[in-house]
Amino acid sequence: MERGKERKERILEELRKLGRGVLQELREGRPPRLRIPSRGTSNIVYDEEHGYYVLGPRYEVRSASSMAQVKKFAQTLCVADFCRELVKAGKFATLREMYYTAEGWETGPFRDQDESDLLVEDLEAMLGVKREDLALMPEEDGAAVFGELVLREGEVTIDATKAGRGGYTIPPTIDEVEFVRCRAKRVIAVETMGMYHRLLQEEAWKKFDALIVGLKGQAARATRRFLKRANEELGLPVYLFCDGDPFGFHIAMVIISGSAKLAYINHELAVPRARFIGVTATDIVEYDLPTDKLRELDIARLKQLQRDPRYHTEFWQGEIRRMLELGRKAEQQAFAKYGLEYVVEEYLPAKLREAERGIS
Amino acid sequence: MRTLADELFKEFKEHSVSEFFRKNAAMLGYTGKVRSLTTVVHEAVTNSLDACEEAGILPDIKVEIRRVGEDPEHLRVAVEDNGPGIPERFIPRVFGKMLAGTKLHRLLQQRGQQGIGISGAVMFAQITSGKPALIRTSTGDGKVVEMEVSINLDRNEGEVHSRRVWEGKGRGTRIELELKEVVYQRSRYSPFHYLRMTSVANPHARITLEEPDGTRVVFERVVREVPKPPQPMPLYPKGLMADDLLALCRTSTHRTLGATLMELSRMTKRKVEEAERLSGVRMDKRPQELTWEEAERLVGAFRQMKFMAPSSSGLRPIGKEHIEKSLKQMYEPEFVAAVTREPKFYRGGIPFVVELGMAYGGRAGRREEEGTGMELLRFANRAPLIFDQGGCVITSALRDVDWGRYGLDPETSPFTVFVNLCSAYVPYTSAGKQSIADEPEIYEELRFAAMDVARELRLYLYRKTRQKEREERAGIFERFLPIIARKASSLAGEEPPDIRPVLRKVTGLEDGEG
Repeated sequence: MERGKERKERILEELRKLGRGVLQELREGRPPRLRIPSRGTSNIVYDEEHGYYVLGPRYEVRSASSMAQVKKFAQTLCVADFCRELVKAGKFATLREMYYTAEGWETGPFRDQDESDLLVEDLEAMLGVKREDLALMPEEDGAAVFGELVLREGEVTIDATKAGRGGYTIPPTIDEVEFVRCRAKRVIAVETMGMYHRLLQEEAWKKFDALIVGLKGQAARATRRFLKRANEELGLPVYLFCDGDPFGFHIAMVIISGSAKLAYINHELAVPRARFIGVTATDIVEYDLPTDKLRELDIARLKQLQRDPRYHTEFWQGEIRRMLELGRKAEQQAFAKYGLEYVVEEYLPAKLREAERGIS
Repeated sequence: MRTLADELFKEFKEHSVSEFFRKNAAMLGYTGKVRSLTTVVHEAVTNSLDACEEAGILPDIKVEIRRVGEDPEHLRVAVEDNGPGIPERFIPRVFGKMLAGTKLHRLLQQRGQQGIGISGAVMFAQITSGKPALIRTSTGDGKVVEMEVSINLDRNEGEVHSRRVWEGKGRGTRIELELKEVVYQRSRYSPFHYLRMTSVANPHARITLEEPDGTRVVFERVVREVPKPPQPMPLYPKGLMADDLLALCRTSTHRTLGATLMELSRMTKRKVEEAERLSGVRMDKRPQELTWEEAERLVGAFRQMKFMAPSSSGLRPIGKEHIEKSLKQMYEPEFVAAVTREPKFYRGGIPFVVELGMAYGGRAGRREEEGTGMELLRFANRAPLIFDQGGCVITSALRDVDWGRYGLDPETSPFTVFVNLCSAYVPYTSAGKQSIADEPEIYEELRFAAMDVARELRLYLYRKTRQKEREERAGIFERFLPIIARKASSLAGEEPPDIRPVLRKVTGLEDGEG
């Protein structure tokens, strides 16, 4: 993993290259053009090798000689230059702040934030860097993490076991945070905060030598960056523990394979080696968990997943089929049927053993 | 024995012309409180304009409309001109006798033609207010004559009620009429609108209007050139009817038919010989002996023959330049164009000329609460036609123009169409003279004239759109390209380049125009 300073220099160089390209064409008396990887659905393809969605080879051309595009062209460069200033100053701004800043730009204000957000995506796709690298951060904080990890945010050093009962909150600027020391041997990420706090109470982090991450549902970009760094930078296996329903499945899948919508940046977000450990349809039967009937919406969603290339593995196809046959689903907290400690004492050890058998 | 018929015809008596019109005032345009007032103004102003024209004077016409007492429908109208004046002995006949005048028996283009106009106005005043007309006139001989005149309806004769003569300078005629059951307002049918239109068609006239509330409106003179007086014109052979030929021959003072036919317009000795050859009618016979059957053969021969275009010497069109000037002054439009078409003829070889002008933008077009649209100004021999628009050939001909082809929508586009029909004999649909009959030749000419001018307007609109697009295009690039250059150089950390070559390229200014 490159150091913050190197990354900063790499980003500034990308922006310089963008500017130089435009200047070159202007000097040669040609109307400048930008080549922007197309993000339309027809240009999103599943990369079997890496196990996530990537953009295909198609480009859109934004030309300064087109009356319809010249303004957008100028706006794109304004966004780029705004990012350059931020990166240079080591500051961050949210997308919304940028949207408001644009009121004072020469190109005039944007119609709505969607318009300026799309330009940020253009820039990410064009430069192959994520918005966080362009010093634009998401609104929301990431999830919480608890375990034997020491981090440094600028001058401050934080021990994730001493950051309060809720653990360390992953900030939107997680890429700026340095991992100083880590004693944990694995990461267990759980879907609900209910389960997160259960694991903390049972001191699961100690028991499993694990960093416990509370996803709070669909994982934020910062959380996914954290998981990716833990996996690639610290070399920790990542285990995902979600509800036993199609939505739980997909929360895990987005972490593993990324989303189609962010195909242009999945190489920075996907954690292809993360593993889903449960709750599986098989678990529902084997642990005889309390269940709910699948709603119509669940069934439709499961059928959708069946066709999704990300689920084209023997494991997933089997689990989806079994859940459809059962017609039932179960939440991760359903293990409380056997007592609050059961999930830490029995279920997780069994699942982790099973998962690590293949690795070690 | 007295038959039933005898009984029925006991009451039969000959009505005088004025008695007839008293009972049929509507035919003369005296219908409705607004229209009646406008008709009175029209008759007086028309007379003044014709008189000035014949005398070669630049007309200066004042119209005053004042309230009499408390009744808002009781008005006194005065129209004064700087024309040649009227010799005293003619005053009772001009104002007090119908179907009298200098025009009816001549084929001559003038605004009035039937000799019932001003006496009709006098009659209207008389039957609504009971007051005679007050006439003051001077021929410029240092003597001013003032008379009160009314019409003796039984005998169709002018009656003089008072007479005053005094020494005075100046020249011109003033007529004052007291009217009841009329209303003054500034609507489409008002004297205001009427005079405004008159001014457009008579750019050589200066017209002042004083409204009942004291407001004074001046329609200024735009050109300082008096139109040449029209001249009597002979009939044109093509399109003549047998009946017209017979009428001509009956009253002929020539000895032979050939000599009589030479009175026709564009007729030459050789053409007479050609007509004789084609028709087999002998040209040396006495004109009075021409039979119906021979007349028909002659008409047939004329149809096959070629003649020079009809003479327009008697026609006095306003002229393209004057129409354009006038429309410019009135509307301050973005675009103006006009055409004066070549003379054509209709029915019995009666020559006519269609003139048509269009003004686009500025104050042109119909201005109503619902928005803009096409405004149509109709004129016959420069006199505005403001009533009976629906039944008029000008309206129907212009309605049938496919305006869309010229980039115009009569419902929304701001344009005014000015149409003047010049003819020695305008085929009005009624004695009210507010709409023109649907003669096929006139209809066609109107359409052609509209298309002539609309083509020019289309070109203008097309260029304007192109120009606007080009400017918009240039504007957009001029705004954003410098930003692109500045931002790119800021990103690259290099000096901004000269963007003029690219700017020229993308604004399209490099290839040709601009």
